[in-house]
Amino acid sequence: MSWGPTALNLSFLTLVGWALFLGVLTGRAELFVVAIPPVVALALARRQGPTPALTVTHEVSEERLIEDEHVTVTVTLRADVAVPLVELLEPLPARVTVVEGSHHAFFTLRAGETVRWRFTLRCAGRQRLRLGGPHVRQWGPLGLAAGEARYRASHAVAVYPQFSALRHPPRPGRTQTSVGNYVSPAQGEGIEPGDIRPFAPGDQVRHVNWRATLRLGPLHVTQHHRERNADVVLLLDTLSEVGPAGATVVDAAARAAADLAAAYLARKDRVGLIEYGGQLRWVRPGSGRAQLQRVLDTLVDASVVFTYVTRDVDLVPPRILPPQALVLALSPLLDPRFVRAVTDLAARGFDLVVVAVSPVAAARAAVGGGRVADAAARLWAVERRGPIDELRRRGLTIVEWDGVEPLDAALATLRRPRQRRVLA
Amino acid sequence: MLRLAAILALVVLVALPLSVWPAAPVTWLAGAALVVGSAGALALAVALTTVAAVLALLAYTVALLTARPAAEPASAMVFGAALVLLLAVVHLGAAVRGAVLEPVVIARQARAWLTIVALGLVAATAGVVGGAVLGPALAGMALPMVVIAAALGAALTMAGVSALMITRGAPPAPDDTRHASRGTP
Repeated sequence: MSWGPTALNLSFLTLVGWALFLGVLTGRAELFVVAIPPVVALALARRQGPTPALTVTHEVSEERLIEDEHVTVTVTLRADVAVPLVELLEPLPARVTVVEGSHHAFFTLRAGETVRWRFTLRCAGRQRLRLGGPHVRQWGPLGLAAGEARYRASHAVAVYPQFSALRHPPRPGRTQTSVGNYVSPAQGEGIEPGDIRPFAPGDQVRHVNWRATLRLGPLHVTQHHRERNADVVLLLDTLSEVGPAGATVVDAAARAAADLAAAYLARKDRVGLIEYGGQLRWVRPGSGRAQLQRVLDTLVDASVVFTYVTRDVDLVPPRILPPQALVLALSPLLDPRFVRAVTDLAARGFDLVVVAVSPVAAARAAVGGGRVADAAARLWAVERRGPIDELRRRGLTIVEWDGVEPLDAALATLRRPRQRRVLA
Repeated sequence: MLRLAAILALVVLVALPLSVWPAAPVTWLAGAALVVGSAGALALAVALTTVAAVLALLAYTVALLTARPAAEPASAMVFGAALVLLLAVVHLGAAVRGAVLEPVVIARQARAWLTIVALGLVAATAGVVGGAVLGPALAGMALPMVVIAAALGAALTMAGVSALMITRGAPPAPDDTRHASRGTP
């Protein structure tokens, strides 16, 4: 802890100087007497005892949160010797507000006394919240000297994007070999009835279709379609960003990705994630709640990293981007590199759906209202129609979403055509 | 509460010059000190409060020069103590603005301030007694010598106080602070 004089010393010094100057000038003894208490205060402020030993414990109530949830920070302070005045300040990261208590507090401690300080924070945006521990300032007598130290704590609270249930996620065109919720064209064990065929040795009695048997004579059995799962890969565009902090198109796309991941994982599908931006990061397709956790952890850190380097999706290994997977691209379609990448994927035969997150609403939120802004927003929305229609003509399936209304409403309008050949 | 305490100290500072000589120039200076000091106390601005304290000191000086009363160290000691308290209260108020502050903190701070002020008053009393003892010894000296001695004393005081300010405190012991952090499992 480094001790030093505070600005209050200058005020005292000014007063002492004036009092002595006027005393000499006028020859009045009272003015010298006036200077004595401030001089004594200044002298006492420099007479410090041993620096009090403080023990600071820093705890957070949660390490994983959803957006807009609260986390309680508890700081425990213990002093071995008496501390006349100690100030604690926990620096708050962006998009974090105090909802209960205060992140700035003053305490006085007797020898051996323990003080518990608690405040609650609300985390407004998707982020990895790093609470580095409080700044501690000990005040000397009269506030004429202060010592400062930073107590380092390494708490990272993951604030996940808020996700809601989806009723209409795009249906995968191709299924995989594991059991799932989609009716496969292949025949086998399942509950969805398929064709009827004559009985063959090895068929189970419970598959005999008695109605068809009575009508046709020989024994007939009902075949069933298998229920299979699918691979879904979420392709998140982090090449460009529009909008105010916490409400950018990347934030909206991350929320949509969380919604989609939760919906597909609930249907026993395998879900993977590729962050396509300045850094190419991915999560290998998997299923289950642990996979949802992995996807959310990656989404928390998804951000725009500026780069001129174009990374091709060819760099992504097939185990991350399986050929039979449904690829859901979430993008504002602002960066031509991403447009080129999704066109390339569609041309290579991937089952692809692009969720085009409109940057217009985010940009409006950033610039505020006004007639000029309204006109510019309308013009921009019209200008975006052309490139999106051009991509549709080239065979891409595009769902337009404004990033504000529920994603499910936008996906409900999706009518997927049969697999078509895409002109790259 | 801190603002109220600061205004009380300010009222003492303004009232003392007026009690010595309630004439026009003193009233103007005291009024200016009251206005500026009130603004400083309400806004918890140490700089404004310092300006008000200097104005009050000027008013006190003008009152002493004009009225030429007999030496009265008691009121001067009160004036000095009020100066210290005013600045200390406003400085603490500015520091704690928006922070969690329990009443016990203010109570213990007030006790510490009063202790320091009491020590200041004891020192001032000792100075007055010393001056009273030393006064007859200097009775026969020429006037320039007295002025030079006073100026030299004032300069030495200022130099000493400045040195106190500039000199940094002793370096902390390497193990004077500890910390620990623990997350919820």
